[in-house]
Amino acid sequence: MTLFSLARKNIKRNLKSYGLYVGSTIFSILIYFTFVTLQYNEEINAVSDTSQQISSVLNASSFVLIVFVSIFIVYSNSFFMKKRKKEVGLYSLLGSRKRSIGWLLFFENIMIGLFSLVIGMGLGILLSQLFLSLLLQFMGLELDIGFIFSPEAIVNTTLVFLLIFLATSLQGYRIVYRFKLVELFSASRKGEELPKTNYYFTVLGILTLTGAYWLALQDITSEVWGFIGLGTPLVIIGLTILGTYLTFSSVFVAILRVLRKRHTLVWKALHLWTVSQLLYRIKANAKTLTIISILSATTITAGGVVFSLYYNIDQYVEENTPFSFMWEGETEEMDDADVTFQESIQSKTIIDDQDVAEFEYNVINHTTFTQLAEELDWENIPSPSEGRALLINPFFNERLETEADSITYHDHSYELSDTITESILNVDTTGANTLVFTDQDYRELEAEERKFQAVQVSDDRNQLPLSQSLSSETENFSSAPQDYQDTIESTGITLFVSTFLGLVFLMATGSIIFFKVLTEAEEDKDKYTILHHIGVPKKDRNKTIRHQVGIVFLVPLTVGLIHSVIALIAFSGLLQINLVRPVTMWMLCYIVIYTLYYWFSVQKFKQTVL
Amino acid sequence: MMQSLVTVSQLSKTYGKGTNTFRALKDISFTIEHGGFVGIMGPSGSGKSTLLNVLATIDTPTAGDIHMEDTNIAAMKDQPLADFRRKNLGFIFQDYNLLDSLTVKENILLPLAIARNSVHQMKKKVQEITETFEIHTIMDKYPYEISGGQKQRTAACRALISDPKLLFADEPTGALDSKSATDLLERMQTLNQTNENTILMVTHDPFAASFCRRILFLEDGQLSKEIYRSNQSRRDFYQNILNELAEKSGSHHDTI
Repeated sequence: MTLFSLARKNIKRNLKSYGLYVGSTIFSILIYFTFVTLQYNEEINAVSDTSQQISSVLNASSFVLIVFVSIFIVYSNSFFMKKRKKEVGLYSLLGSRKRSIGWLLFFENIMIGLFSLVIGMGLGILLSQLFLSLLLQFMGLELDIGFIFSPEAIVNTTLVFLLIFLATSLQGYRIVYRFKLVELFSASRKGEELPKTNYYFTVLGILTLTGAYWLALQDITSEVWGFIGLGTPLVIIGLTILGTYLTFSSVFVAILRVLRKRHTLVWKALHLWTVSQLLYRIKANAKTLTIISILSATTITAGGVVFSLYYNIDQYVEENTPFSFMWEGETEEMDDADVTFQESIQSKTIIDDQDVAEFEYNVINHTTFTQLAEELDWENIPSPSEGRALLINPFFNERLETEADSITYHDHSYELSDTITESILNVDTTGANTLVFTDQDYRELEAEERKFQAVQVSDDRNQLPLSQSLSSETENFSSAPQDYQDTIESTGITLFVSTFLGLVFLMATGSIIFFKVLTEAEEDKDKYTILHHIGVPKKDRNKTIRHQVGIVFLVPLTVGLIHSVIALIAFSGLLQINLVRPVTMWMLCYIVIYTLYYWFSVQKFKQTVL
Repeated sequence: MMQSLVTVSQLSKTYGKGTNTFRALKDISFTIEHGGFVGIMGPSGSGKSTLLNVLATIDTPTAGDIHMEDTNIAAMKDQPLADFRRKNLGFIFQDYNLLDSLTVKENILLPLAIARNSVHQMKKKVQEITETFEIHTIMDKYPYEISGGQKQRTAACRALISDPKLLFADEPTGALDSKSATDLLERMQTLNQTNENTILMVTHDPFAASFCRRILFLEDGQLSKEIYRSNQSRRDFYQNILNELAEKSGSHHDTI
């Protein structure tokens, strides 16, 4: 039996017990490989107008993935090393030189890495078609791209991951030199002291976290933002991280210590034991729990925002481009079968004399307005009165702007009777701001008149070819199908990337918690045997296992969810889109996967201790 | 006179720093002859585990020397120490310390594999030693598939296969039932008598200790007494040990 065969045996065994780690690593490699393959694929790049964007989005996310995966691998490895301390000590005791042991660990790491790399890329090649069609679906492209295979992607992935594995394997090699034999065998375990409440940190924790939340919910126009300036988001993130850490290390300890004193609650079945277990665990794992909470919050927030954008594309296009086509000038020849509405619109352009910014306004008369609004199925159609005007501004944000009272043009002042935030004309053709005058006021208005065409066609999502031919023949052309296609392409690629990044994050954090639970199970084995011996029924033991494992999953998930709810409320104010439905869907997905991990961990825990 | 196998002189071990120190071993000196079977007994905290760890090169002494034949192992560096352990020392622990990923056979031949013996030689040696310990029928099983007694015999085989000059046994029967314990101790006794293997065993169990030829009693980090079996039967020696312990517990509350 050589070093090599010993390593091979260890790997065989480890693959089974560290299956989750290997699985997560393979998945990360698979996703990275997919990103890189798509990035290198010329056909996708040639087909899409947004190719520059696709490439940069993929590039950035590959980088994020690499950073994250490196951290995950380093963390998992240090966990495995701790677990194998005794084994390493034994080799040393049997007279193996440290260098040989170091090589053994190095070799094992590299082998597992290579194995994951081969499997990950193999799966990547097999599944690339699936991922590609998913991406095309997300981007609303109907294309037939043959088998994609990119040698550059293979080289890139291999190099990047070999580097990561080499670095982490060296870490394993180095660790052997830091071991002290006696530490490995001195069985005398020091009794841990029950964590004490630190009032100062508890108060500080509550203060920082509420401070962060309060700041996040402040309006961007508020004084605080003015005071701290552009650094505000950084301050919020910093406070949140600090607050979360203090919550785990101090606030929870304080709460649990208070709980322990409530005898009626705690002196029942195994509650007493469960609570003190948690006291030790949460304090000892404060750092990990913080990382997981922050990571979950980031994933949920980013995913929520991107998913919401994607979900709201229709609304966005409708706001921006209510008519299928608009252009400036005369009518064009079109197939009558498709056209459901066509109207020539007269409009005058004026500039508000009061306004320093010289905002252009596009004026239409009441008759035209009513006609257009009816076509767009508006529910109530207001009308301007003599000497007054209606302002239509779809991008009006009451948090950022104050409502104007009046418009002055050529010494004539028009009071604004109402502000409407829906679009009546395609913004890209006419500009955002439209004023509606009474027919008489419009006639009397002395300004240059322009002529626009507004066309509504049936099934306009599929009228891209028509849109393209019109586009080349007209001026100031705007088109709903083109707008829709552009938006879905750019949002689709972001959604694709963030979905898979999110999955990788989720898997990795899930694995980290799983390892934590497994370590605890090993440590608590004796305790559960004692419980068995003193006659605690299996039902109660199962229950305390569920609680013990549940808290480790539930606490960071809940904290992460709360963080992201706050962040999303802040974002929804900023982006003016409705996030509730898409975000709820996204969060439910997250919770379901987490629950699966939880269930899996409970099973494994029971297997270990019972 | 023939040179002793182990000569311990003025051995001290102090834990901690500054004012918060604890002297686990205080200037201990003794020798172990070739072919000896020495037991170390003493109450908890008397320093017996520390003494074993230091002798076994698992821990380093604060002061003093440990000579094994001509080598001072207290002053050795990391790498020569590894080589020294491989060639001269064997270990048996209370909790076996077998590797779960290897079969019984592989666990046993691990020291030989580390020493890069030839496969032929390994096979031969494994065959011999497992027959002596009567575990040759379970050679392809994994540690989790066999009983505690079988595990400890496996560990003993692993400790002895490289023919160490000195075998360390730390409470080897601590986790075994009385039948398995007796079996293991008898085998160790036979090895000691027929092969002249030198054995150093730490135990708190008078029964296990009664298999030794000589017992060192440790108290507060110092040697308090030493008794020899000489020509007594095992039963008489056992009685003798019990009397010693009873005498000690007269002056101490902390019994074995």
